Amino acid sequence: MTEETEEIALLEMLDHLLDRGVVIAGEAIISIGDVDLLYLGLNIVLANVDAVIRVSNKR
Amino acid sequence: MKRVVIGAHLRREDIEPLAEAIPVRDLFLSGIGVNDDQPLGDRELLLRVAQTRARLLDRATFIAIRYGLAVTNDAESKCGEHAARWHAVLEANRDNVEMTLKVAAATSVARPNRKDFTSGTAYLKALHDATRAATIDPAFRDEVDRTLVPLTVAHRWIPRDNASLECAALVARAKLDEIASVGEAIKRACPNVPFLLSGPWPLEVFADADHE
Repeated sequence: MTEETEEIALLEMLDHLLDRGVVIAGEAIISIGDVDLLYLGLNIVLANVDAVIRVSNKR
Repeated sequence: MKRVVIGAHLRREDIEPLAEAIPVRDLFLSGIGVNDDQPLGDRELLLRVAQTRARLLDRATFIAIRYGLAVTNDAESKCGEHAARWHAVLEANRDNVEMTLKVAAATSVARPNRKDFTSGTAYLKALHDATRAATIDPAFRDEVDRTLVPLTVAHRWIPRDNASLECAALVARAKLDEIASVGEAIKRACPNVPFLLSGPWPLEVFADADHE
């Protein structure tokens, strides 16, 4: 897994943790600041990384 | 001591000793104990919960609870009303997990600027409209519908923001290798479309009554 893919994998994992799943009404809204980019062990991450990076560089 | 809740599970043994099992009616919540004064936005805690969430899924499918729920002795009052429905969802999906396909939009409209609105309602409507305006490359969509969708138990296309769409797929664990192969084939067939296929994930979209 390349460094770029590892970073995407972690971001995807955190996105799912923070933005998916059942919401229990009345619970806190979390704000996350400084999060290190580490590979946490997704079983499958398949990104069209070249295309993702091309688009990122254009922005 | 409070417990940060990760998910809802059918069996205690699917949780322990990775996390604490908190009984709620005929289910168990998985939780990680933290001091009462520890902020939930703490980076180390967030990473610890993310790691534990992944390990729990290796054991058995569970319903993901969005990060931010913490319980002390009030798990029953907070989650008891959902237990019957969650139990039915878990029984029906013992062997299923979710996969996510995020696709960059081919056409989109600019995200509205909050400062351009004096009405909160008008701003939210504009945000909603911008999200719904995003479309993906029709050839990519056709490729997904032709190759990936037939492998799923269920799937939903979900507008996420003004620049991307997402296909949430409920799939049998036994088909994960096949799904990965199809992802590789889509990458070859549509080399210029930025996308991300990730998983497996616990029941997130397909456990949420709001999406039904």
